[in-house]
Formats: sequence, C-alpha cells, structure tokens
Amino acid sequence: MKRFLRSREALVTLLLVLLIGATGLFNPNFFKFDSIVEIFNASLTLVLISLGEMFVILTRGIDVSVGAIAGLSAVVLGTTLNLGWPVGFAVLAAVITGTLAGVFNAFGVTFLRVPPIIMTLGTLGIYRGLMRIITGGSWIENLPQNIKEPNLWGFLGVPFFVWVTLALLALTAYVTLRIRVARYFYAVGDNEQGAFLLGLPVRWTQFAAYTLAGSFAALAAVVFTSQIGFVSMNAADGFELKAIAANVLGGVSLTGGVGTPLGAAVGALFLTAVHSMLIFLGVPGIWDNAFAGAILLAVVYVDYRVRQALEVQRRQARIRGETHHQGGAP
Amino acid sequence: MNWTRYLRTWEFALAVLLVLEIVVLGVINPVFFNLENLLYSTLDFTHILFAALPLTLVIITAGIDISGVSIMGLASITLGLVWVAGVNVFVALAVALLVGVLAGAFNGVFVSRTDVNPLVITLGTLFMFAGLAQGMPALLDKLGFKAYGSAGLAAYQYEGITGLPESFIMLTEGTVGIVPYPFIAVLLFALVLSLLLHRTRFGRYLYLIGVNPKAAIYSGVPIRRVLVWAYVLSGFGAALAGVMLTSYFTSARADLGGDALLPIITAVVLGGADILGGSGTILGTLLAGMILGFLRQGLLAIGVTNDLIQVVVGGLLISAMAAKQLIHVYGEYRLKRWALSKKEGR
Repeated sequence: MKRFLRSREALVTLLLVLLIGATGLFNPNFFKFDSIVEIFNASLTLVLISLGEMFVILTRGIDVSVGAIAGLSAVVLGTTLNLGWPVGFAVLAAVITGTLAGVFNAFGVTFLRVPPIIMTLGTLGIYRGLMRIITGGSWIENLPQNIKEPNLWGFLGVPFFVWVTLALLALTAYVTLRIRVARYFYAVGDNEQGAFLLGLPVRWTQFAAYTLAGSFAALAAVVFTSQIGFVSMNAADGFELKAIAANVLGGVSLTGGVGTPLGAAVGALFLTAVHSMLIFLGVPGIWDNAFAGAILLAVVYVDYRVRQALEVQRRQARIRGETHHQGGAP
Repeated sequence: MNWTRYLRTWEFALAVLLVLEIVVLGVINPVFFNLENLLYSTLDFTHILFAALPLTLVIITAGIDISGVSIMGLASITLGLVWVAGVNVFVALAVALLVGVLAGAFNGVFVSRTDVNPLVITLGTLFMFAGLAQGMPALLDKLGFKAYGSAGLAAYQYEGITGLPESFIMLTEGTVGIVPYPFIAVLLFALVLSLLLHRTRFGRYLYLIGVNPKAAIYSGVPIRRVLVWAYVLSGFGAALAGVMLTSYFTSARADLGGDALLPIITAVVLGGADILGGSGTILGTLLAGMILGFLRQGLLAIGVTNDLIQVVVGGLLISAMAAKQLIHVYGEYRLKRWALSKKEGR
C-alpha cells in the first residue's frame, strides 16, 4: 500500500482528482455523471494507443508511428465498409492492417537493427503517405450506420466502448503483472544483456512489443471511427507524441523496464481531462498543448527531485549504518 | 599518401550521391540542369537545413531536440506580433531569434540539470512552445491589443499575420548574382558550426560527452555549460528557420514548420550522425539535407505527389540505416575472422 502511494500512478491520479475537484468548484456542472463519462469516452482512443505504446517503451524502445498506424487502419476500415463489407470483416481487416504495420516496425528494429526512433520515424512517413494514397487525399464519409451503432450502446449509463477498453485494460494489467511471458518485456527493458544471458528470447520480445503497439493502434482506430463516423486525413495526427507523453506522465520510464498499464491509462486519461477541464473553466481550446506540455515537464521534474531526495536519504542511511558498525568493532 | 582516406568517408559518399542525383534528375527533366532554377529551388528546403545543422551538435552529445518544429512557429508568431505592435521589422526579427535562443536555453538547462531523457523534455517543450505560439495572439487580443494585424481574426486564422514590409520579404527573394540570400546564409551558418565543431575545444567536448559522459565529467569538462550551448544553438537554428519561412511565405503563422520533423531528423541521421551519440559532422548533415531537398524537388517536378514523396523519404531513411547496420555487422565479422586467423598463426 505504501509502495502504491509513492508510485507515479498515485501521484498522477491524485493530481487528476485535485484538478477535477478544482474545476468542479468553479463550475459545478463538471461534477455531473455525464461529463465524467464524457471524459472517459473522449480518452478511449488515447488510452488504447498508449497501452500499445507502453509495451514498446517497457522494452526500452520507442514507437513514433502509432498515430500513423491508427490513421492507416481507420482508412482501411472506412474503405472496406464503403465497399460493402460486413462490420466484422472490416474491423478484422483494420486490426490486421495495424498488426502488419506493427510487424514491419518490429522487423526493422529487431532484425535489420535500425534504431527504433529512426525506424518508426521512417514508417510514420510511409504510413501517413500510404493513407493518403489509398484515399486519394479525400475524407471517407457516408460510412454505413452499423459502424456508428456500437458507440450508442451502453450499460448502466456507460458507453459500450468504455466497458471494452476497461476490460482490455484489466486484461493487460493482469497479463503484465501475473503471466510469466509478459514479464519478459520488463526484463528485456531493464537489462537487455542480462535477459539475453538468462536465455530469454530478447529479439522476439521486442518483436511482440512493436506488433502489439500496432494492434492496439488499430483498435483505437476502430473506436474513433465509430465515435465520429468519418475518417479525416489527419485522423490521429500527433497521437504518437501524446501517447509517449501519457506513458511518461503515468510513470512508464523511457529507460525501460518500469511502468504499468494502469499508469499508461491514467496518463492518457489525464491528458484528455486537461482538455475538458480547460473548456469548463472557460479557457479557449488553443491553450491545450501549452498546458499538456507544462504539466508533463512539471511531473517529470517533481519525479526527478523526489528520486534525488530518496537517493540522498539512502546514502545517508548507508553512511550512518557504516559508522555505527565501525564504532562497535573494537 | 593520406588523401585517399577522404574517399572512404561517409561525406564523400554523400557528395557523390548528391551529384549523381542531380545528374539523374537532370536527365529525366532538363530543367534541373539550369543552375539558376536549381539554386532557386533550395528556398523550399533551406529551413530544414537551418534546423538540422545545429541539431547535429545536440545529437552528437547523445541528446535529441524535437521541439525545434514548435520553435519555428513560436519565432514566426513572435516576429509577427512584435511587428504588429509597431516595432521595426528587423528589430522584431532580432526578438524572434532571441525567443529561439531562450527556448533552446530552457531545453538545455532542463536537460543538463536533470537526468530526464532529452526526448521527454523536448516532447514537453514541443507541446508547450506550440501551445504558446497558438495561444499568444488570442490572449493579446483579449487584453485589447490588436494582435491579428489589420485584417482581423478571420483573415488571421486563414493566412496568419500578413502585410509584412517589402524589405523583410526581400530577405528570401533577394539574390547575390543567382544565389538566393537564404542559401548563402545557410552555407555561412554551416561553416561557422563546422569550425565550432571541428576546430574548437567546445566541439571536442560535444563528442566526448556523446561517447562517454562519465569520462567527460571526470576529466573536468563543464558538461552542463556545453550541453546548454548545444541546445541554445539548436533553438537559434530553429528560430532562423522560422524567420526564413515567415519571409518566404510572407506571413507570420503559429503552425509554420509543423511537418518538418521527419525531414530534419532524416537529414541529420542520413548525414552520418549516430542517434546514440558520439559521431556526426556538419558537412554530412548539409549534404544529406541537400540530397533530400533536391530529391523532393525533382520528384515533384516529374509529377510525383507529395504523399508518395513522404513514403519515399521514409523508405530512404530506413534503408540507409539498415544498410549502415549491415555494413557494420559485416565489418565486425571480418574483424573477428582476422583476429581468429592471427591467433592461429596463419
């Protein structure tokens, strides 16, 4: 319990609750069940993309193409739907597209040994370009009603997709904390050489991480296509950077091996909530980015100071311990 | 003779590639052989070079600065706002460059004073600077300052702050003979940075920090100051790029340069800088940036769409890196074989 309170997840959750509380004081409408649900609903895309990105960051990699993968998957979904494919097949096609895009990243990083940021920066260009080539640069509109329907379903006043995402989050959390193979992500990210010497499949673990990032981005594409009902050419533009920010905010360390799915999700929720809160406080939406950036910097700075203080404490304890020991020796 | 070693450098390969590229594009489309045209077309990518050249210094220290694309917009909008306030446009230009320096200094201080990953820090400032650039005009307008220029809000949203004086526009339209001013400026900038990197102690420190930061600290390198200056130069270069784009597009906008991140990093990496630090040259970045820029111009001229060019540039970045890695792996393999044969006394 004490460990949880010290964790980054707790810090960000606390910040989130404080901000929601402060916003509520200025504008009581914010406390309504509906507006809270609305924030959850709006955060789903980023939560899903961030969850996928988390696997990559855990292995000490980085994937800046996830936004482009989401966009490409959305284009495939929209195009196949307009060709008259049943929803199930179209969704499947989108998810396969995202997964394959992830596999391509994975291949470059693990087998061609291209540094992750270079590989995914390259595929960012490739996937964004492909997306426009497929559609000829125009938006995909007039999607059939059946893709928009799931967004209207709900249970206990909470939309269907929120439940789905919560279920996926719970599943990811369970798997990464309890399943042996999933712990490989942490081992590889923490100490690649060590993991290799222990006989872990380092390459395949990294391969799986990039592939998962692609699959999650595709799921995000399905959710936002259903929510907004059309596919624009800058769909999910810039989400790769937001997903990295969400992970860092939620305590997933870019140096690998540290972080939880819950942290990534809370970070994503936080970034989305900032947007809604600014609107409720009457601040124009254009200030979004400035606040998101400032909060990210503030959180990593506080985190740095806390770590520094803990380190000093630990050293002092060690010095005290040693003097005590020496004093008792003669 | 020692000069043959220059033939085996990456920069020489890039120079050959650049000449080959111009020849091939020229054969396809003879307009390319027109020197005046060729030089004029550099205007479309000088801003990439302005940002990529000093970024090389940052990448050599094993850092990265992705906030440059936001600094471009911030510098541009600063220039516009200061000018709208009635200040001489060249003073406004200086203020814009100063903003770039300050933004770079913020990055540098944050990077050098904490152990937080530079990517995270500049990601944060990427959002922050972009947000400031977008928010500032609206805020100033609310405070009763006519920030949108004479044309008002609707025109501002559509085309930014326009109506900048002719003397400022001439900065990019003007030429010395047939060479546009910005291209001369970028060559001078490259020369200064090159001397700084290869001929001064500061430059050697950059490499040392990139190769082994601990060794740098223990040998008394003022590591914090060196890092701050590297990021300051990167911010300054991005601001120069923003100012140049403002003059080129004849309007000050908050979103200038937003899509330049991919080409900027591609230029640095293709130029031979190692993203893990410790290697890279200014000449390499300059040549790689020109290769990419002319490639783009050439493909556009023969009717290839912008989207496909994006795919080509992405593919080029990946294959260049993959090839480099393969050559590296092969080199290691040969080295091991050689060592083995020595051991066996053959």
